[in-house]
Amino acid sequence: MAAAFEYAQAEEIRDVFARHGVRYLFLGNSGAILLGYPDTTQDADVFAEKTPENGRALVGALRELGFSVTEDRASEIERGKDFVQLKDGPFDLDLVFAPDGIERFEDAWQRRVEVEGFPVCHLDDIIASKAAANRVKDRETLPRLLAFREHWQRTR
Amino acid sequence: MKVREATADERRSWQDEFEAAARRPLRQRFRYAFIRTYKPVLDDAPYRSFDSMAEYRAWCEANLPSWLGYGRGV
Repeated sequence: MAAAFEYAQAEEIRDVFARHGVRYLFLGNSGAILLGYPDTTQDADVFAEKTPENGRALVGALRELGFSVTEDRASEIERGKDFVQLKDGPFDLDLVFAPDGIERFEDAWQRRVEVEGFPVCHLDDIIASKAAANRVKDRETLPRLLAFREHWQRTR
Repeated sequence: MKVREATADERRSWQDEFEAAARRPLRQRFRYAFIRTYKPVLDDAPYRSFDSMAEYRAWCEANLPSWLGYGRGV
């Protein structure tokens, strides 16, 4: 189990992914936190574009960040699994290639919000994703997240 | 999906939290937000991959303790 995710590691993701040309967005609670939502979470969720080129760029970036990406794992990431959990790197990272509630990466990319250079899914996409996932923890979170959306829209 | 309606007290309390968070720099918000607690089963493998989100959701339902909240049931 890795240590807690830190701001410096988010900066590393941002900088290394940019160097490798990875197309991605922060999603889930980590995305909401970047947008200002006060909550707790464990890992970073990254919504990556599902193309072989982006998969290859992602594998290179993950290796540079210190994740153990074997050839088998690299092949899975490049081939396009929908969901990959990495728990043996410098921090825990969930790679989501087809999040519930978001049709296409390109649509989410057009709606993205930049926070200190971090590309983040629009709050509406984060909410849509949680609503579509419909897990117990999403149902518990959504009333507060919807209240945050009102605050965010008023103050951004 | 039906989302529970927040009470007036909840909304007031959350609003205070949102305003307090907005006064903190992102680096500090990170420190408060990312915590580490062991999640049984979920944290017990170094790597997992799923062909589809439906497969992942089904795996969560079948394998994770319900109290973690990853399932769809009550």
